[in-house]
Amino acid sequence: MIVFDHVTKVYPGGNIALNDVSLHINKGEFVFVLGHSGAGKSTFLKLILREEKATEGHVYVSGQDLGALKERKVPYLRRNMGVVFQDFRLIPTMTAYENVAFAMRVTNIPERQIKKRVPYVLNLVGLGGKLDRLPEELSGGEQQRVALARAMVHSPQLIIADEPTGNIDPELSLEMMELLTAINSVGITVVVVTHEHDLARRFNKRVVTIDHGSVVGDTEIPGEVRL
Amino acid sequence: MNWSSFKYLTRQGLHSMAANRLMTLASVGVLTACLIITGIAGLFSANVNSIVEYMGKQNESVVYPAEGLSPEQAAAVDAGIRAISGIAEVRYVSREEVLERYKGYMEEYADLLDSFEGDENPFRANYQVVVSDLENLENVLAQLKAIEGVDGVRALTDMSSMFVKVQHAVNFCGWALVVMLGVVSVVVIHNTIRLTVFARRREINIMKYVGATNGFIRLPFFIEGMASGVLAGLLAGGLVLGGYAALLRLVKDVPGLWGQVAAASVLPLSGVWYLVLGGFCAFGVLIGSIGSAMSVRKYLKV
Repeated sequence: MIVFDHVTKVYPGGNIALNDVSLHINKGEFVFVLGHSGAGKSTFLKLILREEKATEGHVYVSGQDLGALKERKVPYLRRNMGVVFQDFRLIPTMTAYENVAFAMRVTNIPERQIKKRVPYVLNLVGLGGKLDRLPEELSGGEQQRVALARAMVHSPQLIIADEPTGNIDPELSLEMMELLTAINSVGITVVVVTHEHDLARRFNKRVVTIDHGSVVGDTEIPGEVRL
Repeated sequence: MNWSSFKYLTRQGLHSMAANRLMTLASVGVLTACLIITGIAGLFSANVNSIVEYMGKQNESVVYPAEGLSPEQAAAVDAGIRAISGIAEVRYVSREEVLERYKGYMEEYADLLDSFEGDENPFRANYQVVVSDLENLENVLAQLKAIEGVDGVRALTDMSSMFVKVQHAVNFCGWALVVMLGVVSVVVIHNTIRLTVFARRREINIMKYVGATNGFIRLPFFIEGMASGVLAGLLAGGLVLGGYAALLRLVKDVPGLWGQVAAASVLPLSGVWYLVLGGFCAFGVLIGSIGSAMSVRKYLKV
């Protein structure tokens, strides 16, 4: 699903964010990418989303070499993945329904299908009764679930969660992780980028640890965190 | 993009105009002000042009055929004059007609002039020639003088060249003002729209992450820019045309020669309203949409 082949990323100014990283994430896997602030996690995400290009090496997502991907093809790549951000990134002027529907509208899906699919997905994340609420009328956990619904609405093959529990309390964090686990159980690849060791430890999943731009740990046995 | 997406994005653009009322007001206001000044400069220039053109047309040149020409030679002179390009009007005035005209000018001496009838007529037949473009006057005069059988040509070349100079100066100043204000409008509108886009950069960023194409993101801003342009165009057009109509009413009451010149040469409202409105709306749409598209570009690089 995701392949990093000797990937190095150097930003203008000489800052080496990732240094010769090689990694293979299989289809249907659930992987935690663990690291401190500044370890290179964000760059790892940006490379997958093709927000940045590798300076050296190759990044493949679903078999596509992202370095060779034309700029105008990037939106189509992103439509095959769902992204959940720490700060939710919901459009404040849109209701929960509109925020999720928006992700479908960008792909030109007919309104009829949107009307069916959006309530269904919001219902899956437990927000079936809050379709008309604006983000500011929802709690942090609920906003994160709207973001997750938006990520899922396309039935993507890959869901990337960037610090998904960073802005919600521990109890809701567990709920969120359980939702992600449930999503993974139907064969969707899930990559959770986090700095929370405890969170990674609690779930019996593969953990890739990044430090100073290099992969310093990749658990063969899920759940075993090495630093 | 399918029809339902297009409808949705158009709605989004219009909705955003209403949601960001203050910014919309600022864009429309600035664009209206620029259009009004540009429009006044354009109308002023077009009217001065029309007045100069009218006055130029009153400035006839007179061509005198030589005396004692045979009918064939006279016909050749006539054909030669009419064959010159750049002449708007040629009129043959016989000796009798000249005499009659003078009688009209000098009614109190009409009896005296009566004694000039027939062979005693001292006036000469001539051709009154109106040049279509005063700039071309010298060239036309040279061609007229070169015709065999033409004895002389009389033209107020000094006055004509003054008209041409005035026309050039007004044209230059008018269009320079239009271009200058056009550039100022683009810059001001671009900056105003940039503020709107800046306020919505987060929204654009989210759109990029959920897989929106650049065209999809741009369209609502484009619609917003176009709609602001049309609004500003209609507003500026209405104000300028209202002012112009009031001015025309004033001009109509101007006494004397200038009143006559103005009445005959100032562009009527019926001849300019569609140009002003159409031009303003087209210019507004162009500036609004280009300004929006340019302003969004920076935030699309995600």
